[in-house]
Amino acid sequence: MLEFEGDFESDLPRDELWKYFTDPDVLAECAPGCDTIKMQSPHELTATIAVGVGSVKPTFDVDAVVTAADEPELLEMQADGNASRNAFDLVAEMALVELDAGGTRVDWAARAEVSGMIASLGQRALGSVSNKLVTDFFEDLEEKAREGEPAESKLEAAPQAEASLE
Amino acid sequence: MKPAPFEYHRPTSVSEVASLLTEHHDAELMAGNQSLGIVMANRLATPDHIIDLNRVEDLDYVNVGEDEIEIGAMTTHRTLERSAELAERVRMLPEAAEQIAGPSVRNRGTLGGSIGEADPAGNYPAALLALDATLTLRSADDSRTVPVDDYFIAYMFTDLREDEIIESAAIPTEPFPPERTGMAFLELKPAAQTWPTVSAGTAVRVDDPDADDPVIEEARVALANAADVPLRVPDAEEALEGEPLTEETLDAAAAAATEAADPEAEMHADEEFKVEVAGEYAKRSLETSYRRATDT
Repeated sequence: MLEFEGDFESDLPRDELWKYFTDPDVLAECAPGCDTIKMQSPHELTATIAVGVGSVKPTFDVDAVVTAADEPELLEMQADGNASRNAFDLVAEMALVELDAGGTRVDWAARAEVSGMIASLGQRALGSVSNKLVTDFFEDLEEKAREGEPAESKLEAAPQAEASLE
Repeated sequence: MKPAPFEYHRPTSVSEVASLLTEHHDAELMAGNQSLGIVMANRLATPDHIIDLNRVEDLDYVNVGEDEIEIGAMTTHRTLERSAELAERVRMLPEAAEQIAGPSVRNRGTLGGSIGEADPAGNYPAALLALDATLTLRSADDSRTVPVDDYFIAYMFTDLREDEIIESAAIPTEPFPPERTGMAFLELKPAAQTWPTVSAGTAVRVDDPDADDPVIEEARVALANAADVPLRVPDAEEALEGEPLTEETLDAAAAAATEAADPEAEMHADEEFKVEVAGEYAKRSLETSYRRATDT
C-alpha cells in the first residue's frame, strides 16, 4: 500500500475551483498523461492515461467512480487502472478548505495498491513523481479557472458508494 | 529476454527527429543505447517506436566559445573525456565522463542520453548542475532553454516534453577563469563498471592563487545519488565563499552536504552510509578543487 498526500494553495474561491474539479472535460485536459476521459454516468468515468517513471510509461485503462462529492468541500474517487504488466487500485480524496484570506487550500491524499513494473521502481521514486504530477494537475486546473475558461460541475457521488481502500 | 516488437526509425537530422516525435507521441529516443536497451529487454519499457539518434551528426559537437561551452546531446562520454579544451576550461565534466562505467559504455553513451534518462546517480546531471548549465530542448515548432536546476524534477522524471529532444547543453565559462579555478568530480562506487553510490562535483574560484591563503570567491557543490534528483548544496557553497579553505570551512561545507542529503537506501549502501559519504566526498572533492585552483 502506497500513501501519498500534499496540499495546494490557490487564491481562487473554492466554489469556483469546484466546478473545474468536477468537469470531466477540464480533468481530461489537466490530468497528466491523459489521452481521453469519457463520462459513463455522472458518477462513473473511464479514461486512458499514460503515466510512469522515465521510459517505463504504460498506458492504463482507468475506471473511476466518484464515491463522495460534497460541494464545495470534499471530492473522493476510487479508480482502478490496468495496463500491460501493470495495475493500480487507488482511492483519492481532496478536501477544499476555505482560507481566511479568501483563497482555498486543497488537502489531497491518495492510497494506492500498485503492481507490476511500475511498483518495482520503488516507493520513493513513485512518491516524488506522483507529487510532481499532482502539483502539475492543480496548477493547470487553476490556470484554466484563472483564465475564466468555462467549466461545469457534472460529477456526483455514486449512490451508496464506499471507497474500497479506506 | 528480448524486447517487445517496435518500429525502428533512424533519422539523420534534428528536424526529422522532431517531426517523428510529433507523429509518434509514444516514441522513445535512443541515444547511445547504454540503458534503454536493457530496460526494453526486460520489458520494463515497451515503446511502439524507437527513434535512433546515432545518425544525427549535427548533435555531436563541442564548441568552446568565449562566454560559454556548448555541447551537442549526441557527444559521447569518450569525446568529453578526451577533450583537452574541456579539461582546461571545465575539468569537472571530462572528469565526470572518464569515470562512467567502462570503455565500451563510454564509446557509445552520450551526454544527452544521460540527461534524458535522468538517473539521479548519473554523473552529468550533477556536474551540469554544479556548472549552472542550461539545456536547449527542441520540438518541431519550438525551441526553449531550461536551466538544469529546473529540468530535473523527480526520480527519472524531467521537464522534457513528449515531443521534445535534448539538443545541447551550454555551460557559462565566465565564472571560471582557468588560471584561478579548480574543479573535481569524485565518485564512490563498489566496482569500476557499476553506478556510483554517491558522487560529488565541485568547483572553486580563488581571488589570487599565489597568495598565502587564497580566498574562495565562488564555490559550487553538487551531489549525485544523494537525493532523487541531482542535488546542489548552496549552504555548502556559502560556508566557503569569502574564506580560504580551512579545516573549519571545509567541515562546515561537509556538514551542509550531510544535512542536504536525502538519499534512498540501495542494495550496497543504506541511507546512513550514503549521507556520510555525501559529506565526505563533498569534502574531498573540495580539497582537490582548491588545490587545483591554487596550484597553477
